[in-house]
Amino acid sequence: MKPDLLAIILQTALLLLLAPLVSGCIKNWKARLQTRRGPRITQPYYDLAKFLRKDMVISEHASWVFSAAPYVVFVTSLLVGLMVPMVTSQAPLSLFGGVLAIIGLLALGRFFLALGGLDPASTFGGMGSSREMTIAAMAEPALMLAIFTVAITAGSTDLSRMAADMQSPGWKLLNPAHLLAFIALFIVLLAETGRVPVDNPATHLELTMIHEAMLLEYSGRYLALLEWGSAIKQLVLMAILANIFLPTGLAADWSLPSLGLGLVLFLVKILGLSLAVVVVETANAKLRLFRVPDLLSAAFVLATLSLLSMFLFQ
Amino acid sequence: MNTITDTPDWAPRVITLLAAGMLVVQFLMVAQRMLITNVRLFAIQSLLLAGIAAVTAWSHDNPGVYFMAGLTLAGKVFALPWFVARLVRKIRIEKEMQPWINPPTAMLLCGGFTLLSYLVARPFATAETAGANTFGVSIALMLIGFFLMINRQQAVTQVLALLCAENGLFLAAISLTAHGMPLVVELGIFFDLFVAVMVLGILVYRIRATFASIDVERLNQLKG
Amino acid sequence: MILTGIVILPLIAGLLSLAVKSQPWLERLNLLTFGAVAVLAATLAGEVQVTGVVSGLNGFLYADALSALVAGLIAFVALVTGIYAIGYFREDERIQKVTVRQTRWYYRLTPFFVFAMLLVVLTNSLGVMWVAIEGTTLASVLLIAFYNEKTSIEAAWKYIIIGSLGISMALFGTIMTYYSAVGVLGTDASASGLNWSVLAAVGDKLNPRAMRLAFLFVLLGYGTKAGLVPMHTWKPDAYSEAPAPATALLGAGVINCAIYAIMRFSALGTACLGHGFVGNVLVAFGLGSVLLAAPFVLVQRNYRRLLAYSSIEHAGIMVAALGFGGQLGALGAVLHMTFHAVTKPLVFFCAGNVQQHFGTPYLRKITGVIHVLPWTGGLFLMVTLAITGVPPFSIFQSEFTILSAGLAANRGWATALFVVGVVTIFSGFLVHMSKLNLGTPRSEAPIKGESPWKLGAMVIVAVVIICLGFWLPAPLFQLIEAATKIVGGNP
Repeated sequence: MKPDLLAIILQTALLLLLAPLVSGCIKNWKARLQTRRGPRITQPYYDLAKFLRKDMVISEHASWVFSAAPYVVFVTSLLVGLMVPMVTSQAPLSLFGGVLAIIGLLALGRFFLALGGLDPASTFGGMGSSREMTIAAMAEPALMLAIFTVAITAGSTDLSRMAADMQSPGWKLLNPAHLLAFIALFIVLLAETGRVPVDNPATHLELTMIHEAMLLEYSGRYLALLEWGSAIKQLVLMAILANIFLPTGLAADWSLPSLGLGLVLFLVKILGLSLAVVVVETANAKLRLFRVPDLLSAAFVLATLSLLSMFLFQ
Repeated sequence: MNTITDTPDWAPRVITLLAAGMLVVQFLMVAQRMLITNVRLFAIQSLLLAGIAAVTAWSHDNPGVYFMAGLTLAGKVFALPWFVARLVRKIRIEKEMQPWINPPTAMLLCGGFTLLSYLVARPFATAETAGANTFGVSIALMLIGFFLMINRQQAVTQVLALLCAENGLFLAAISLTAHGMPLVVELGIFFDLFVAVMVLGILVYRIRATFASIDVERLNQLKG
Repeated sequence: MILTGIVILPLIAGLLSLAVKSQPWLERLNLLTFGAVAVLAATLAGEVQVTGVVSGLNGFLYADALSALVAGLIAFVALVTGIYAIGYFREDERIQKVTVRQTRWYYRLTPFFVFAMLLVVLTNSLGVMWVAIEGTTLASVLLIAFYNEKTSIEAAWKYIIIGSLGISMALFGTIMTYYSAVGVLGTDASASGLNWSVLAAVGDKLNPRAMRLAFLFVLLGYGTKAGLVPMHTWKPDAYSEAPAPATALLGAGVINCAIYAIMRFSALGTACLGHGFVGNVLVAFGLGSVLLAAPFVLVQRNYRRLLAYSSIEHAGIMVAALGFGGQLGALGAVLHMTFHAVTKPLVFFCAGNVQQHFGTPYLRKITGVIHVLPWTGGLFLMVTLAITGVPPFSIFQSEFTILSAGLAANRGWATALFVVGVVTIFSGFLVHMSKLNLGTPRSEAPIKGESPWKLGAMVIVAVVIICLGFWLPAPLFQLIEAATKIVGGNP
């Protein structure tokens, strides 16, 4: 019991502390690639502190949904984060259904976020919500199929079991089915975290916003929770991608050296993925909205193929 | 992690991986609209193909196939893409028009083609000498290449699609027999391919000059 | 030696012609080459009769009776086309439709074209045969785009795209054949696995599943080159846009090469799979081609496209004959190939003459050719009867043989449909050609003397057609018989 509670606390702390760092790294490196100086890596921490201090201005048309949404988003992101093995090979929390629960929780968070965008009756919020739902409708099947591919190899939907199975000797990593699933998941990562080419996280033009539009009416504490929650969700998705396909270094026990090694390797993998995201963001332009289905259908077909390859690439 | 060449069946696994890569590149070509990127994708696909040939040559001890791998590298990875890219620059058209079938449906269709080709290749699975179901991948490459030729309206993309189908054919030859076809035949095919691309280049240039566009939809006067 | 000579001569001529700039010398070079090739082909035919099989270049080249026959046909077509082309292009230059620079390219491309065609029939390896057939496509594309108009370029583009698409399928079939060969012969046969001489011997031991796939793809692929339905869509465009001599080479040369290739694979397929599958597929495509060509012939408005549909019909007839099978079917196919190759050039020549004089390919704009161009009109009428299978011309004999083969193979319905198609096409042709040639001429076009070159070529072909209708020389018939044995498999 004790290690479990300790594990939950430690993983929560890791999530809370690491998530803004990842966002900051991505912003900074993107600026560097564009030969700008960019904000400092620790800037998101300062931003969060600033938001937490400030007052909130809430539209008079908003209802309880507006107030509830930030908490729901934050908590679901944390819960999902607890179910993913990050440093240790056994995730602290394992709800019934494993990866299905993860997808469900993420969907819950997204649902409330969309409602929160609609609630204050601002046009941009509604626009953002509908766009977000469209993209989610196409990204989610790809996500599910890609994860199921790995789940079938492992024989379980529990992420910890999947990571453990991938570690067993053999060529699991370079199995073409897993390669296809990895590519599909990467595209889904871009879609779910609102990165170029799906959505521009740095845009100030309301007409091009998707994620930002839903946050437009939020301020103060709620905004802090929402930003943090999105950052955690981004970290969690990256962790899934990293640890399911490249589970080297996951600590098998609780000794300090293995934990330390696990943490270092985890950071390396996450930062490596961030670098990949930065390169993709810099090399591509944002797709027009009606072109986004093209990209996501590509991800879907790749995910389907990866699932089929499981059976056909014996 | 095991060292790569220690695993006894590393060659088929690497080949399977490279073949999957070729398939992914082909799908990207279906979804992609910029001409120059399509040319580069073709070059990448040919690089993977040369890799497969090289690995097969190593694992089956066949010096002739090394030669074919080298030829693929020199010809299809460097020479042909350079030539087609030069053509694209000369005719100064950057992008594709809207194809007949939009990319999402096209991708689903190509997924269906892949499934179909796996089914067709099933009876020959035991005869594979290189990787698992590489023959299925080669048929899929062929079918998707043909589909691309019909779906796209730009002359240059049709040429590229033809070249991709040829890649699939070469892969089929390698996957069924560990040494591909007799050397003289392979050389002849290569030579044909080069001349074909040259002739197509001449024609594309003439199309551009006469029709002021390379949209083959304009080539619709002859009927009946 | 002979084999090497036949194949190398056009190649050397082509390379030489790249350096020559004067048109008279190019014409002489062409004529000389094709004349020499014709003589060598005749000698080859004689030798094959004696020794059965002739090999050259260490087994790379190979000629049995079928090869020798088709090589002879190609040589004949090349020669008469060469003669006709001289007159045709001089006329084109006179009316300033082409420049001398353009004409040079015809004379330069044609030897390569003929080289590729001869390589198809004289090589041992089925793989090299594929390479050569693709070579004919590449050599002829620029000939189709010769006049450089919008329609020519469209025709050439369709030709090369559809042709290359089809031929990739044929390559796949060839790969499958190679795979079955290696399965039987083992890996030490890797270099010779595609050689006909080797494959024919082990035909019955090949992997049936692979051969089924192989034959289907080969038929789809080489059928595209032959112009079988549904891969025929390039034919009307290509035949109507290319200059008449090039059309003759396409319609009486390349079609033979494609049918030759189908014959080789059909023999292999029959040896391996028995006659059921192979026959059904062949009859389906062949009959389909004949039946589809029929309505297009009836409603046709452009007489050059009309001839393309006739070509589609004849390809269908040859393939259906192969499908009917047995010794009679094989005999019918070989006879038809021979007679068609001899008769078709005249059709294209007459059409070319008419188009050059009247300047339009449309039927409704031209009447009374026989009054304006008496020789052309007369020969046109005669060859229409010949090509649609009217007795006593030779095609009637071959079609009759094919009908008997169909009945002998118990394919009553197929034979009936075959007759319906052929008769429909005959009536369509008769209506169009009589309207074209007879009646009063529309404009006051002066009665022109026709160029001696063109007329000479046409008369030569006409004489051969008439002769063959009444008398098949014994050596030729022996050659045909020997070829039939190869196609139909030894009983």
